[in-house]
Amino acid sequence: MGFTVRQTIKYEAETDPGFAPLIKEKRGCEKLEACIQCGTCSGVCPLSIYMDHTPRQVILLTRSGFRDEVLKSNTIWLCASCYECTVSCPKDIKITDIIYSLKQEAIRARAYPRGFPIPVLAKEFYKMVRGFGRTTESFLVVKLLLKTNILAGLKMWKLGLQLVKSGRFGFVPESIKNRGQLQQILERVGEGNGTNGGPKK
Amino acid sequence: MDNGDGKVRIGFYVCHCGTNIAGTVDVASVAKYAAGLPGVAVSRDYKYMCSDPGQDLIGEDIREHGLNRIVVAACSPCLHEATFRTATARAGLNPFFCHLVNIREHASWVHSDRAAATAKVYDLIRAACGRVRHHKALERKRVNVRPEVLVVGGGIAGIQAALTVAESGKKVYLVEREPTIGGHMAMFDKTFPTLDCAACILTPKMSQVKAHPNITLWTYSEVAAVEGFVGNFKVKVRRKPRYVNEEACVGCMECVDACIYKEPKFEDEFNQRLGKRKPVYMSFPQATPKVVQIDPETCLHFKTGKCKQPCIASCSRNAFDFNQEERFEDIDVGAIIVATGFKPFDPARSPKYGYGHFPNVYTSLEVERLVNSAGPTGGEVVMRDGRKPKSVGIVHCVGSRNLQTNRWCSKVCCMYSLKLAHLIKEHTHAEVYNFYIDMRTPGKGYEEFYNQLLEEGVHFIRGKVAEVTDWAMTPEEEGKLVMRVEDTLAGFVRRIPVDMVVLAVGLEPQADAQGVRRMFNISCSSEGFFLERHPKLAPVDTATDGVYLAGACQGPKDIPDSVAQAGAAAAQAMALIDKGYIEMEPNAAFIDSEECSGCKSCIPLCPYTAISFDEVTVKATINEALCKGCGTCVAACPSGSIKQNLFEDVEIFSEIEEVLANA
Repeated sequence: MGFTVRQTIKYEAETDPGFAPLIKEKRGCEKLEACIQCGTCSGVCPLSIYMDHTPRQVILLTRSGFRDEVLKSNTIWLCASCYECTVSCPKDIKITDIIYSLKQEAIRARAYPRGFPIPVLAKEFYKMVRGFGRTTESFLVVKLLLKTNILAGLKMWKLGLQLVKSGRFGFVPESIKNRGQLQQILERVGEGNGTNGGPKK
Repeated sequence: MDNGDGKVRIGFYVCHCGTNIAGTVDVASVAKYAAGLPGVAVSRDYKYMCSDPGQDLIGEDIREHGLNRIVVAACSPCLHEATFRTATARAGLNPFFCHLVNIREHASWVHSDRAAATAKVYDLIRAACGRVRHHKALERKRVNVRPEVLVVGGGIAGIQAALTVAESGKKVYLVEREPTIGGHMAMFDKTFPTLDCAACILTPKMSQVKAHPNITLWTYSEVAAVEGFVGNFKVKVRRKPRYVNEEACVGCMECVDACIYKEPKFEDEFNQRLGKRKPVYMSFPQATPKVVQIDPETCLHFKTGKCKQPCIASCSRNAFDFNQEERFEDIDVGAIIVATGFKPFDPARSPKYGYGHFPNVYTSLEVERLVNSAGPTGGEVVMRDGRKPKSVGIVHCVGSRNLQTNRWCSKVCCMYSLKLAHLIKEHTHAEVYNFYIDMRTPGKGYEEFYNQLLEEGVHFIRGKVAEVTDWAMTPEEEGKLVMRVEDTLAGFVRRIPVDMVVLAVGLEPQADAQGVRRMFNISCSSEGFFLERHPKLAPVDTATDGVYLAGACQGPKDIPDSVAQAGAAAAQAMALIDKGYIEMEPNAAFIDSEECSGCKSCIPLCPYTAISFDEVTVKATINEALCKGCGTCVAACPSGSIKQNLFEDVEIFSEIEEVLANA
């Protein structure tokens, strides 16, 4: 028994002055700095009671350049995209969009725990849609389990079998026609970097 | 003054303005350049032209060199045009032969390239010297100013303004829409931060208004129309029928007791509909004027014509007049003080707080009536369900600081919420929670009051309440209103069960502010509050001369600020009327009636309603006193028959030709 005593002081050197400008540039994140820290977002959030930092704190930490704290926070992964915070924000801040941008940054920086499935799912889902224009759930689930927790996957063999039997899991990859056109669209809208891409010159 | 030879002799002066101009513009070379322009007899640069020696320089040169035109290249005409015109007039030259060129805001402050800025100044002064030769000697016209003042709105601001003007010996008309003066302040119980009883400090002033020989008080009346201009407004006041002769009634209330309705049955507006009144009623015991009135919407006589009218029988002074009709009074006044106040935010617009849905959710104004001993509960804080609350949550910023409703801070809510927290605790010993975003207590004794509240054990939670529900998640929450909020200082979400919720509603413009704005020809800020002429240096003036603002119609304000502003508005009005006349700027438009075809196209365009149509001559005429010299009519006139002093075609065209001469 005892207390774990550690320094909680933060030095300016630990902040990333480029972090807030980076996020602010992204689509929907323009009003990051309009936050008055009223806490409405946290109050209305159905999941904030499980978060290590409330949505309000995530906005504050982002704005102040505490990149590591934000990207390692479970908040961005717990967000269920219900948009209640965005709807309620008295300053019209698109908090859900900001959290999406933070997720992208966290994926880019691999700032989540090893084997944490949500970013892997996001990534695989995106890759599949980008490649085929559709998802094939059987392939997606297998990929996810292989990359995170194979053991847990093997334990679910019965469920998998039933899904195959009922026709929910197919073995033929699904695809749209003219996949090239989809890729052109995605390139046009500034795929991946989250900024307003605009037409390429 | 043309030295008899008819030649234009221009004196040119360029100001250094310290380094404001000289830092970016080569003033010495500007002076040298000007010396070579046609007609320039004297050309100088000087460190501060607006200083006394600078102004003297102009006078000396006029006398010594027989100058008949002056061009000063300095700052904005808004700042020093009057200075240099006066200096010119002092030396005996008509002040409108002096022209100011703005080379500070238009050149030195907005450019960094010295050579380019200097070249631009060359162009500007060439244009000025080109136009000034065509200037004419103009005279300022004098217009008499009437000594009466109209005050619109009888809240604390209007009362203070009316009393101040009346005390100076001037006649005041005070027009109030409601049956009594007193405004919102009359509804309050105590006032922050001193906890003075609102009625104790307000009602003596109300009586003073009623008794003052210089004040004509018209309640239950509205301004219906305003015509005229500064010093000479013609105002029509609509006096609504109260079916009681104000002069006869003494407010004995015998009629209220005698009314056919034995019990008060109808919603009492003054008590925020928390109490009941009869069809014949007085808003509150100290109502001023102390007369009753009849509400035709609820009076049995008006509804059915079958009432025995015991009210009439009970009145020993024969004050009832059921045939009274709306009537109009026409008055002439020199100045108008608009003090029409504010409207509290309607919290039904923020449904998450449950106002109108949960009976125990109140607005702050309703609670003011509950804690008031003259209120519907006699000062007992009891809820709509008859219980006394054991716990109360006060939500700050309701409707305020929110882009979805009103984006501004309403300024008074933090302080009145503290006051209500104190009063509720005092009346009920309940646990009181204040939910705030930022605690704003700037003001004399305000922060001390906050400290007092902290020491009284009132809870303060920094966070905007997300929702008020009656959905219990724990046994303690059963039967309560639950406030869900992030305690932002603690960093986690809390659920706080309370019996009663008080919504600290913000202040917003009156619902009819736009109509009032148009009637008095003033502007509104984007929020809809009336716009002052300058936010810092002309806070009670408006864009319309002779119309002044006082109180919360100009923006959210507490009582001390409203009273101070009312005093300022009264002083401004008095400064205008006491002089007895005003001098008009001569840059007004005028009509060459030979040319005018009487097409009337100018009339609706004039933003100052200065143009009227003379049915006899069939020509348009411009009221010089109203014309602000905006030039709209000049540009619009299809026959070119409207001209404007200082902006005649020859002046403008020569200015354009010269500014483009090097282009």
